[in-house]
Amino acid sequence: MAVALYNQRKRPSALSGVVGFIRRRHWTFFVGSTIFLVILALLLIAPWISPYDPAQQGLRFRLKPPSALHWLGTDHLGRDLLSRVLIGGRFTVTIAAVTVVLSVVIGTFIGIISGRSRGLIDEVLMRTVDLLISIPDVVIAIFLVAIFGPGYGTLIASLTIVGWTPFARLARGLTLSINSQEYIRAAEVLGCTRRFIIFRHVIPNTIRPIAAVAFLRFGHKLITVGGLSFLGLGVQPPAADWALMLADAQAYAERMPILVIAPGLAIFLSALSVTWIGHGLNIDTKKSSGH
Amino acid sequence: MWIQALRRSLILCLMLAIVSVIAFLLPYMTGGDPARTILFSRMRDTALDPHAVEALRVSLGLDRPLYVQYFTWLWNAVRGDLGFSFTSSQPVAAELIHALGVSITLALTALAIAVIVALPLGTLAAMRPGGRLDNFTTLMIQTFVATPEYWFAPMSALVFALYLGWLPSAGWDSWRSLVLPALTLTLRPLAYFTQVTRAAMTDVLRAPYITAARSRGLGMHGTVMRHGIRNGSLPVVTFFALWLAGLLGGSVVVEVIFAIPGMGRLLYDAVINRDIPMLQGGFVCIVALSILINTLADALYVLINPAMRGNHDH
Repeated sequence: MAVALYNQRKRPSALSGVVGFIRRRHWTFFVGSTIFLVILALLLIAPWISPYDPAQQGLRFRLKPPSALHWLGTDHLGRDLLSRVLIGGRFTVTIAAVTVVLSVVIGTFIGIISGRSRGLIDEVLMRTVDLLISIPDVVIAIFLVAIFGPGYGTLIASLTIVGWTPFARLARGLTLSINSQEYIRAAEVLGCTRRFIIFRHVIPNTIRPIAAVAFLRFGHKLITVGGLSFLGLGVQPPAADWALMLADAQAYAERMPILVIAPGLAIFLSALSVTWIGHGLNIDTKKSSGH
Repeated sequence: MWIQALRRSLILCLMLAIVSVIAFLLPYMTGGDPARTILFSRMRDTALDPHAVEALRVSLGLDRPLYVQYFTWLWNAVRGDLGFSFTSSQPVAAELIHALGVSITLALTALAIAVIVALPLGTLAAMRPGGRLDNFTTLMIQTFVATPEYWFAPMSALVFALYLGWLPSAGWDSWRSLVLPALTLTLRPLAYFTQVTRAAMTDVLRAPYITAARSRGLGMHGTVMRHGIRNGSLPVVTFFALWLAGLLGGSVVVEVIFAIPGMGRLLYDAVINRDIPMLQGGFVCIVALSILINTLADALYVLINPAMRGNHDH
C-alpha cells in the first residue's frame, strides 16, 4: 500500500532524466567528452587513415622536418611521426581503462563491505587503504616487473593493487552518509523493501560521484602507464607508443623538438580530456551545494 | 585515544610484517632457485657449474628451512644489515641512506614550492567562488594534473638548459641542478594542495565562527588571516605527508630523466640489473617510511587541531 502510494507520484521518464542530467553538466564535461571521443575514434581507425605503416623504417629519411610527405616529419629511424602518434595511444588507453574498471569494481565492493560492517573488519580494511594509498604505484610496478617481467598482466595488477583504494574510501563514505539520509528514513517508514531502497536510492546516488572519481583516476593512470613504458617497464620497443616515442626522442630533442612535442601533447590531451569529464561530472551547475 | 592509538599501531605492525614476508620471498618468487639467480646476475651465464651453485647455497644458508632464513634476514634487517648489493658490492643500507638523502631533499624542495604557492592561491580562490581567479585556478589544477612529468621534464630541459643555458639538464652537484627536477615534481602536488586548500577554505568560510568574527566587525582579510588559514590549512598536513611518502621512490621517472642518484633511480637500476638485496631493502625501506610518515602526520594533525582531541570517532 505504502509503496503503491509512493509510486503514484509521477515518475520522471528515462528521457527526461537524461535531459536533466545533461542540462546540469558543466562545460568541461562536453569539451572533455568531445576531445576524448575524437581521440578514441582516431586510435580505432588509425590503421586505415594513417599515411604510412608506423613500423616502416627508412634510414634515408631519418629526422626529416615536417613536409608535405611527412606532415609531422620522421623519427630517428625514418618512421613517419604522424602515423606513430595516431596509433601510439592504443596500449596506454587500454591498460588504463582496464585498470580503472577493475579498481572501481574492487574498490566499491570493499568500500561497501567496510561501511556496512564497521568494527574490526572496517578498521583492518581502512588501515590497509591508508597504507596502500601512500605507496607510489610506480614502486609496486617496479617490484612486480622485477618478479614477473613486463607485460599486460603485470601492469594491470600493479596499478590495481593501489588503484582500488580511493574508490573504497569513497564508497565507504557514501554508504555511511546515504544510510543516514532523510529520504532513506522516509522510504523505510513508507515500508519500501530493502532492494527497492538500494536500487532506487542508494545506487543512483553513488554512480555519479564514483564515475567522476573514475574519470579523474583514469587521467592519472594514463600518465602512470606512460611513465612505466617510458622507463622500459611497460610497452616493449618495436610497438608504437606515445611514452616510448618520448623516451626515444630524448637524444634528438634539440635537433627535432617536434619528436618530443607531438607524442607528449597526445598524452597531455588524453589525460586533460578525461580529467575534464570527471570534473564536469563532479559539479552540478543547477544546484548550489556542489558536491 | 590511547586504546585507539595502540590498536592502530598493532595493525600497522602486522602490515609491516606482511610486507617484510613479501620482500623476503622476492628471490623465490622470481622463479627458480635464488642461488642460481644470484650467480646468474654475477656471471651473466646460463650454464652454471652445479658445484658453485651448491657452494653458494650453503654459504648463504639457503639450505636451511625457510622460516629460519626469514627470521635471520629480519633480525639482520632490523639491525640495519640488509646485505650487499650484487652490482656495486656495497652494503645495501649505506646506499639506501645516501639515496634517501637525495630523494628527501628533492621531495621537500618540490613540496615546499607546492605549499608556498598552493596555500595563498587556494585561499584567494575560495574567497570569491566562481570569480576570475577561481576559474583560472581550477584550469591550472587540471592542466598540472594532466601534464606527464616525462613530457614536462624534457621540454623544460630543452628550453632552460639547451636554448637558454641557464640550468644544467642533468646531474646532481649544486642547487642549480635541483631547480628543474623540483619544478617538474611540484606540478602535481601543487595542483592537489591548491584543490584541497580551496575546498577546506570554502567550508571554513561558511562556518559559524567566521560569521561571528565578521559580525564583530573584523574585516574579511583579518578574518581569513586569523581564523581561516589555520583551519583551512589543516588538510594540507595530511596531504603533505602522503606526498612526501609518495615521492620517495615515486619520483623514479624524474630521477631517471635528470640522472639524480635518488631512491627511485636506485630501485630502477636494481630492477634492470636484477639486484635482489637492493630491491628487498628498497621496498621494505619505502614501505616502512611511508607508514612512519603517515602515522606522524596523523599525530601532528591531532596536535594542531584542537577539535580532534577527545574525538574518538576519527
